[in-house]
Order: sequence, then structure tokens, then C-alpha cells
Amino acid sequence: MKRIVGLMIVSGILIGGVVAQEKGGKVKKQESVRQEEVRELMKSGFSNDPRFAWKLNQDEAQKICSQYPSRESMPASAIQKVIELSTSGINYPQWGIYWGDWKEGKKLVESPRGGRFASYGFSDNPADKGGNCYACHLIEKGMPGGTMGPNLYQYGKRWNITKENMNSPETIEKLRIVYNIIYNSWSAFPCSSMPRFGYHGSLSPNDVANIVAFLLHPESPVNK
Amino acid sequence: MKKKLLLGIFATGALVGALSTKAIAQVEEELSPEEEIRLVQEFNRMLAEGINPGEIWYEVGKEAIKKYNLDKCDLGLGPGVFKGAAAQMPRYFADAGKVMDLETRVGWCLQKYAGMSKEDVLKFVRQCWGKTGNCVSEYDGIIMYLTMESNGHKINVNLKDPRVKRMYDLGKQVYYTRMGPWDFNCATCHAGKQEVRIRATKLWSADRPGEAGNAVSIFPKYLVRWGLPMTMHYRYAECMRQMRWPEFIPHSDLGVALSTYLYGLANGTEIKAPGIGR
Ligand code: HEC
Ligand code: HEC
Repeated sequence: MKRIVGLMIVSGILIGGVVAQEKGGKVKKQESVRQEEVRELMKSGFSNDPRFAWKLNQDEAQKICSQYPSRESMPASAIQKVIELSTSGINYPQWGIYWGDWKEGKKLVESPRGGRFASYGFSDNPADKGGNCYACHLIEKGMPGGTMGPNLYQYGKRWNITKENMNSPETIEKLRIVYNIIYNSWSAFPCSSMPRFGYHGSLSPNDVANIVAFLLHPESPVNK
Repeated sequence: MKKKLLLGIFATGALVGALSTKAIAQVEEELSPEEEIRLVQEFNRMLAEGINPGEIWYEVGKEAIKKYNLDKCDLGLGPGVFKGAAAQMPRYFADAGKVMDLETRVGWCLQKYAGMSKEDVLKFVRQCWGKTGNCVSEYDGIIMYLTMESNGHKINVNLKDPRVKRMYDLGKQVYYTRMGPWDFNCATCHAGKQEVRIRATKLWSADRPGEAGNAVSIFPKYLVRWGLPMTMHYRYAECMRQMRWPEFIPHSDLGVALSTYLYGLANGTEIKAPGIGR
């Protein structure tokens, strides 16, 4: 169900449909607090390690998404704005969309460590890379995973990708759609809880291509 | 320090067996399947036998309160009056001119009555952060003791006080702020009507009745995998580490704002510390 909604947003058909269920409204703006106060409070509550100061900068899309408790409560104009902001600026690998290496993609999908760091104790490294996709998704058969996002088992089969049609223009177009979702999830699912991995540079265009291959390749264990 | 620990353990002799004998080590989060299974078994056994090793920290805290002159500390009901005091926090403190939650207030008292500097306090607070296997911190003990003195009392944050209400409002705004390289806010994981899991862990939601209360009323919560009780500010730091936010500073107003929001949501829930989890 979620999947269908997503795909239709990708192809631009359903934007009106999603918006129709408007309810709930904004996260109540309290008169007693101003947005600058919230920013100051947050700044003062974090370590001033200069390596991580950039994490405090909110971009325009994050500012919009912060105003609504859920996508269902967003007005059409806000949804459209986030999609616009997110669709522009998707970068592709140097030679365009291609079949990446699903074995490399598998490693990135499984690693929970990417971008995580605190100075106390843990063995995280700020340069570690990974998408921690299992936190939110079930993917390979038998592997434990979360339920915040949809089940991705046999994702390539669901897109009807086979050994025979692997290199057809239609299939390459499907790769591009899934690439966009992983590069910038908000281009398809505005304000989704799924991080915008490529947009923030947590994953490179080639990393994203490898992950797409892991999800869609007929030989990948995802599609066995 | 070692002596204190032994003292605590003897005082609660029944619990000794529950502690594993592993040395203090850095936390490695990726457990092998065998370790996962052992952990689940140990957790189930503790539940079945009604054991909560977290209670050991109550004794550690009782000693530490004497050692650091915290019997002078006023949690809002008068110096050294601790019964039921934590249940009414966060609250406004005229002597500090600020709203404070339990942990922040204890930090303030440590500076005032134990001669610690701000840096000393931060070190004291974070002594066992990121550690596993019998790391016993006096700070965790103090927070455990003071919270358990409110067991059975209902959380009662005074939102009619405009200074408290302001912190509540700030905390709520923080809760919904999307920020950082992974675009998370607290609501990403702790909101919504539908129950979700992150890996195998069920997440509580601010939108499902009673769940915020159930979440905060059992803190400090003993974590079997790390062998120590986690205080609320350690919990905030860990959630923010998972969120890829910058590193959280305990006892900051940011922590107080989040506590005021969460404990405010939890008003009416009975305190039952320590909780226990894997
Ligand atoms: C914090 C949770 C979270 C993480 C981490 C996450 N996702 Fe998602 N993902 C979601 C959610 C939620 C959706 C559904 C979109 C929506 O409605 O917002 C989704 C949707 C998707 C979809 C579209 C599914 C469809 O309906 O066709 C794909 C593909 C996907 N995720 C892949 C990934 C990959 C690959 C990773 C790791 C690199 C990942 N996700 C990490 C939460 C997450
Ligand atoms: C990426 C998901 C995620 C985000 C975002 C997140 N948390 Fe958590 N939170 C967790 C997990 C996982 C637990 C552990 C639950 C358990 O052990 O039962 C947890 C536990 C908690 C608990 C204690 C509940 C318990 O019973 O242990 C509190 C309170 C809490 N989080 C507050 C917050 C706050 C405040 C924020 C925002 C600053 C936040 N969380 C953001 C994942 C998240």
C-alpha cells in the first residue's frame, strides 16, 4: 500500500490524493517560545566540537517538515515545496545510472555505524559509512529487521526485473526511480522518516547505485 | 570506590549472583547471535525471578549522598527532604533562578555542596557512559536513590507555573525539530498511533495514551546488556547519538526542556524505578 502511494508520487499522479487527507494541523506554535529561542537552547545543549557544528544547520526542507507532526497533516503547498526542494539536486554517478555491485551494496545496507559518533566510550568512527537499513526494513529472508518502513524482501521481483529484461530501457528507468528514493527519499515521500542518504553525502552516488543493485538485482539474495 | 561497591552488593546480597563478572569494557554494539541469545536468556531469567540488579545502585547512592554532602540538597521540598520530591520535578528553583530536572539539580548541588567544578560534575556524570560490565558510578547511584525515594508517588509536574510551562513548550518544539545528516526528530521514532519496531525493539509513542508515562516512570532503567542503570540524560545522549545529532551535554537546558515535556506528558503516572530492559 505504502509502496503504491510512493510510486505514484514519483510519477506525479497522486500528489493531490495524498493531500486530500489533511487533518491534525501544525505542531502548535506556542506564543511563549520563539523559534530563535529553540535554536539557542539546542545549540547550548550540544558539544561545541567544531567537527560537528554543521549538523546544527537546518535546511529549508527540514524547517518545513519540523512544523507538522506527520505527512498527513501537511497542506498541499508544503508537500509540493518539499518535493521540489528534494527533486532538484539529485546527483547521479559519473556515467549515469548503471547496475552497481550488489555485494558492495549489501555491506552498506547492513552496517549500522554510518555517521554515528560520540566522544564517550563507543567505537564509532565519524568516517564510518552505512545505511542501517535493517533498523527500519525487513530485507533478506530470515534477517531480523524493523517495521518503520515497508518490507523490501523480493523488491526486485516486485518491480518485475528478471535476468532477461535487466538492461532494457524500462528497467534502467526503474533503477533510476529507486535510486532517487535512496538518494533523496523526500523526493518521493516528503518528510519521510527515511534519511536522505545521498543528499547529505552520507552515501556517494556509487554507494547508492550499489545499494539499488542489492535491492533489485535478480542474483541478489533479496530476490531469492 | 571499590569498597563502596562491595558495601552496596553485600547490603543486597540476593542480587550478587545477578551481576556478571565481566571486566569493564567499551561497548561493542554488534553482538554475535550467540551473545544475543545469552542476553535474552539472562534477561528472561531476571524477569522470572523478579531480580533487578539496578536496586544495588540504591545502596551506592545512599552512601554517596553522605559522602558528597547532598543531605543539604533541596529538591524542592526542603534540604534533605527526598521522599516524593523527584516526582514533582522538573520544577522552578528560586535559588538557581531556573527550571531544573532531577539530574540537573543534583549537578547544581554537587557544585554547591561537594566543591565540584562544572567540568568535575560532567566527568562524574559520564563516568560509565559507553562502558559495559560492572561499571558502578556513584552518580548513577545518587540518581537511583533519589528516584526510588519517589517510588509509588505520581508524577506531578506543575504546568500551571508559567516558567515550567515555557520549558515544556520548548521541549515540545525540540521534539519535532528535524535536524542533522539523517533528518531525524524524536517523533521519527516516538510518535504515531501505529506501533513500530526498530530492529527488534518496540518503540514508545507520545501519541499513544500512557506510553510516555510508562517510558519515563521506570528511569533509571537497568540495561542487562551493559550491566548498569541508564539515567534519563544518558538516554537522551544515546537517542541523539543514534539520530546522528551532535553530542548531547548532560544537565544542559536542552535536557531540562526535554524532561519537562516528557514528564509533563507523564503526569499522573506512578514512579516505579528501576525499570529493566535488555
Ligand atoms: C529511519 C527509518 C528508515 C531507514 C534507516 C531506512 N528507511 Fe527506507 N523507508 C522508510 C520508510 C518509513 C519508508 C516508507 C516511505 C514513507 O512513507 O515515508 C521507506 C521506504 C523505502 C523504499 C521505498 C519502498 C517502496 O514503497 O517502494 C526503499 C526502496 C527504501 N526505503 C530503501 C531503504 C534503504 C536501501 C535504506 C538504507 C540505505 C533505508 N531504506 C533506510 C524508513 C527507513
Ligand atoms: C532512531 C530512532 C530514535 C529516535 C529518533 C529517538 N529515539 Fe528514543 N529510543 C530509541 C530506542 C531504540 C530506545 C530504546 C527502547 C528500549 O530499549 O525499549 C529509545 C528509548 C527512549 C526513551 C526511554 C524508553 C525506555 O523504556 O527505555 C526515552 C525517554 C527516549 N527514547 C526519548 C527520546 C527523545 C527525547 C528523543 C529525541 C531527542 C528520541 N528518543 C529520539 C530510538 C530513538
